[in-house]
Amino acid sequence: MSAPTPAAGTAAGATPGTSGAPERQRGRGRWRLVGLIAAFFVLLCVVRVVTGADQLTTAGTLGVTLVAAMPIAMAGLGGLWSERAGVVNIGLEGMMIMGTLGAGFFGYNYGLVAGVLGAILLGALGGVVHAVATVVFGVDHIVSGVAINLIAAGLAGFMAAVWFTGTPGGGPRQSPPLPTPPTITVPGVSDLAATVSETGWFLVSDLANVVRMLTTQLSSLVLVCLLLLVLSWWVLWHTTFGLRLRSCGEAPVAAETLGVNVYRYKFLAVTISGGFAGLGGALLAMVSSSIFQTGQTGGQGYIGLAAMIFGNWNPAGLLGGSLLFGYTGALQFRDGEVTVHALLLFVVALLALVAVWQLRRGERRKAVGSAVFAVAFLAWYLLTEVVPSEFTEMAPYVTTLLVLAFASQRLRMPAADGQIYRKGSAG
Amino acid sequence: MRRFSKIAALAAAGTLVLAGCGGGSGGSGGSGGSGGDSGDSQSAEDVCQSQADGDGPSIGVAYDVGGRGDRSFNDSAYEGLKRAVEELGATCIEAVAGQDENDNVRAERLRTLAEGDYDLVIAVGFLYSPAAAEVAPEYAETKFAVIDGFSQFLVEEPLDNLADLTFAEEQGSYLVGMAAALKTESDHIGYVGGVTSPLIKKFEAGYEAGARSVTPDIQIDVAYLTEDQDDSETAFANPPGGRNAAAPMYEDGADVVYHAAGSSGSGVFEAAAAAGDNMWAIGVDSDQYLTAPEDQQPHILTSMLKRIDTAVFEVTESVADDSFESGGVVYDISVDGVGYSTSGGFVDDIEDQLEEAKQQIADGEIEVPTEPQG
Repeated sequence: MSAPTPAAGTAAGATPGTSGAPERQRGRGRWRLVGLIAAFFVLLCVVRVVTGADQLTTAGTLGVTLVAAMPIAMAGLGGLWSERAGVVNIGLEGMMIMGTLGAGFFGYNYGLVAGVLGAILLGALGGVVHAVATVVFGVDHIVSGVAINLIAAGLAGFMAAVWFTGTPGGGPRQSPPLPTPPTITVPGVSDLAATVSETGWFLVSDLANVVRMLTTQLSSLVLVCLLLLVLSWWVLWHTTFGLRLRSCGEAPVAAETLGVNVYRYKFLAVTISGGFAGLGGALLAMVSSSIFQTGQTGGQGYIGLAAMIFGNWNPAGLLGGSLLFGYTGALQFRDGEVTVHALLLFVVALLALVAVWQLRRGERRKAVGSAVFAVAFLAWYLLTEVVPSEFTEMAPYVTTLLVLAFASQRLRMPAADGQIYRKGSAG
Repeated sequence: MRRFSKIAALAAAGTLVLAGCGGGSGGSGGSGGSGGDSGDSQSAEDVCQSQADGDGPSIGVAYDVGGRGDRSFNDSAYEGLKRAVEELGATCIEAVAGQDENDNVRAERLRTLAEGDYDLVIAVGFLYSPAAAEVAPEYAETKFAVIDGFSQFLVEEPLDNLADLTFAEEQGSYLVGMAAALKTESDHIGYVGGVTSPLIKKFEAGYEAGARSVTPDIQIDVAYLTEDQDDSETAFANPPGGRNAAAPMYEDGADVVYHAAGSSGSGVFEAAAAAGDNMWAIGVDSDQYLTAPEDQQPHILTSMLKRIDTAVFEVTESVADDSFESGGVVYDISVDGVGYSTSGGFVDDIEDQLEEAKQQIADGEIEVPTEPQG
């Protein structure tokens, strides 16, 4: 939705000739994104103060959000790398499963660092399989991806039985306890933020909660993942390598004629994609919990894919999507019935703003639609005290679905995404 | 094109082979929660294969989703089976449930076991109840026992070869509820259940009653991981969920949290360990102190024991000496079917009180409710 960077440097999208204009546009888009995030947060604080649902912005809630969002974000980042190079990667789920398995085996036998690297390695192995199938042999991307998901699930179940049967505390379906990445606590800042957040002041205490969350028991692996998001953004949009890689996803024929080795770039991108998904698996096994279990991913690879689409094939956007999913999930156990009920008010405010914005753009019919929804949600908010507990459980999925439905109108996928590219097919 | 189809065929074959190898990944099948087992139960050897020449009763065991190796429900049943093989000379065969099965598939599995002329078929998990009720009338010579089952309520007239082995989970939960109330310093405790089923609600009911018997106005936070009765994955194989459910309780000032959420409970232990010193968690089904990692052990106050192994062993014994009891067999506190563990020694100072209550429950002086009073 808020996704900036309308594919600068692509053959199709950018305005040709004027090199300054897209640059400026891109800069503005970035600031708009930051502004939007800030506005969302302020709105959330308003809702907290108005409704008194304090759990909306506690450090605990935000911390759970971050931990829950990061595996999804890593899967999404994997999808981003692959799809930016033009290969649809529905096998992310399977590569994530490989990652959990790698974290389990290498983490248990050789320690923390080996566990993380092993997860990336096995995930990348899944990526290589996908790359061989789709890039080298030109198999349909979806077919190959689904096959990888099935194979990975079976393989993980089988290897778990081979590796973990008879280990102390482990069994055929789960590993012994794994080492967990060290957590980071910044002594002075953490305590100070805790003190400030006690005040409950509008915005001040909420911001203090953000600081407190980031400075108290923050998993170092989560921090690494955040850095990787930034790094991916930089590599893909600010290096020659990234430009060439993206050109393979936009116009592979044109790229080929310009001397880019499309096969090599696609192969590399899909392998890296698997590595990221594997890292997501490592997060699940070593940060979210501290064991490997079969079936641990529970479809989070698919959710990562959805987060990437939601984020318009863009790192910041996919992080936003992951956080949204993690946040609504985190609320379930944080007075879920009250906090999700409070979120209704948030939705009302959001829809009202959208209606005003649409009105200003002259889209009267759409504005009326948004306003009607806003009133309906307001009525729901006012007429009830809490939402049913069943609803809190499905809130993450409903939110994702709604946001995706609203946002999808403004999305643009890489032009050659999902197309099978054969060398020399330009004729 | 030929190359593609070759690859496709290869991929398909590989997929099928590997998917077959994988087996299920479900949780303990809504089975009533639990956590670890007695640790050494994961030995690769299999008594059903290594001891095939006993002269005791022959037993067919149909496991719940996941089968052996879940360090929980199924493994506990296997423990009982192992004891039966060793002490009674029983012979056995095992079958495992797959994921997303329906009653027909389960019934077919029970039939297959019954056809093999087994004296006793043990179905592990309440999910087998309808299947057992359907199959039992067809095989009068074979005895059927359903762990946690309710099959006797599904047959038109009582059958003398069908038994439901259930547990008085609320009684054991009552005792650990007392322990929680006696140990808390903030008069604020918590409970994490796997799924909002009547079975898991029994744990909550007993826990609540026990805690209130000590401190009537104690604050009890309650959370369930899912309301979806069929989603045993989210309920019983979900450590992050357990952790996310327990963490806010500790943050809000609760200092003891009891779980009945299968292996999701390991997340509750993690939350207790992360919350700091003097934060407690209570395990379920088996003595979870023994299987917990070292950093969590100082936080595991006690565990509510549910002796599935005892049930499996005793029902086998009853078949061996021809004293099989049909209908509902309840393993309650008077026969040590449920209880509490003392590993770690954290409840030593209150053991007298717990033992007294245990005796009172066994004598019927204390009636423990099976539904939460709210």
